[in-house]
Amino acid sequence: MAMADGPFVSVSESATWQDNMTYAPSGDGVRGALSLESGFRVDWLRSLDFSTTLTTGVAGDVDICTEYAGLDNVCLGPTLELRHKFGLGPLAPVVYAGLDGSAAGFQDPERSKIEGDIIFGFSQRLSDAFQVALDGRLGSFDARDIVFCGNFASLDAAINWDVNETWRIKLLGGWRNGDLVSNYAAEQSPFGWVAIDPNTEYLPGAWHYVRTFHEPFVAYRVSTVTWSYGAALSPAIGPHTSATLEYAHYLSPGIDRYVDNVVSLSLAHRF
Amino acid sequence: MNTMHRAAAISLLAATAVAVRAAGTVRVETRDPAGAPVADAVAYVHPLDAAAEVYPPAEPVAITQRDQEFHPYVTAIVVGTRVVFPNKDNVQHHVYSVSPAKKFEIPLYIGDSTETIVFDRPGPVTLGCNIHDWMVAYILVLDTPYFATTGRDGTAEISGLPPGRYRLEVWHPRLAGKVGRDLAVAEAGDTTQVVSVTLRPDRRIRRAPDGGGADYK
Repeated sequence: MAMADGPFVSVSESATWQDNMTYAPSGDGVRGALSLESGFRVDWLRSLDFSTTLTTGVAGDVDICTEYAGLDNVCLGPTLELRHKFGLGPLAPVVYAGLDGSAAGFQDPERSKIEGDIIFGFSQRLSDAFQVALDGRLGSFDARDIVFCGNFASLDAAINWDVNETWRIKLLGGWRNGDLVSNYAAEQSPFGWVAIDPNTEYLPGAWHYVRTFHEPFVAYRVSTVTWSYGAALSPAIGPHTSATLEYAHYLSPGIDRYVDNVVSLSLAHRF
Repeated sequence: MNTMHRAAAISLLAATAVAVRAAGTVRVETRDPAGAPVADAVAYVHPLDAAAEVYPPAEPVAITQRDQEFHPYVTAIVVGTRVVFPNKDNVQHHVYSVSPAKKFEIPLYIGDSTETIVFDRPGPVTLGCNIHDWMVAYILVLDTPYFATTGRDGTAEISGLPPGRYRLEVWHPRLAGKVGRDLAVAEAGDTTQVVSVTLRPDRRIRRAPDGGGADYK
């Protein structure tokens, strides 16, 4: 086994606006909020041969929701990734596979969870200016209450266009199929707290009364397909730092339909 | 010093003085179409009246890897030169070239590689590291001893040229088209050549990390 290089440390800061962070169908449950996130990642890299690397590391972040303190959370977990390039040079295609694990502690303790993901992907540089990337994830998250547990599969595609050494434009598309925690405004009924939105009566998933949003809400576990698309503009601020302004539109068709627009501004730095 | 040795020394000094007096210099100023100086361009001349003999240096030329970049970005050498690639980083690098003038690879290493690469054919060679795709550097292997690389001010001086006619050419990794002209060097003459070069856009692989994105909560 080759010697490990590292540690390599990278950090990120981001501000993210979600206009439907409750993932609620249109109606009384939709709430927008701004989140501030600080993340870090420490990696050790082993070069197994000239085109295969094994990366082990630790990643974590602190996420503060400016509106709903119950969503504040701290997350920490290990990462493992095997990456192989088919040949020499930057135009050779790259595949990777790995495991991500994390434990997230939320201010609302019932939302705290552990998550394990199998990750896999492919990237291909078509020229010095263009790159396509495909990232897949099979994940499972587990919490005390079944509402906050689930499984999912996702696939995200990106086309990167490096206009020059400084500016990158990204086109994004994504698909996710699996469990999701939706939060609906609730009212008290003879049967307890129930969602106000009439669509929710058709939802078969488990639900749970939550105090996260300063008013009566119920959290539902729904299993749904979500499509997303977006774009990002990312200037490099030197060889180790970049900024990214990203917009993404999320749409889940079906009876548990939700729409979410996400705008994020982030700064990433690799030491 | 005996008489014979003194005579030999005087002869040598005289010959050197003649050689110095006879040597001309070509000063090359490279400018882009906007008039800005072009750094890292290699200016070289081939004698048109006689073949130029090249003698590779006794010591190898070093291209260093530091902060996950090659230094220098452009290196001009003569055919037969040995090059070493010391790695001053705390990470391993895998140096390779797939250029026709020299195909080679030095497997992953850290510190001073024991491998020395001999560049035995003229032509441009592109260097890369297969672990860090943004790392790139160029070697121009020349079959003439008369060359110089431009600095930030876009100038280079090729000195020690015997009088005669020469073909001046300029090379740059991003040169859009061939640049060359014929010129004459007089005894002890200096000549300044202003060369306009058009470069393709700088398309180096971006090194900065990727950011952005939001997670489901």
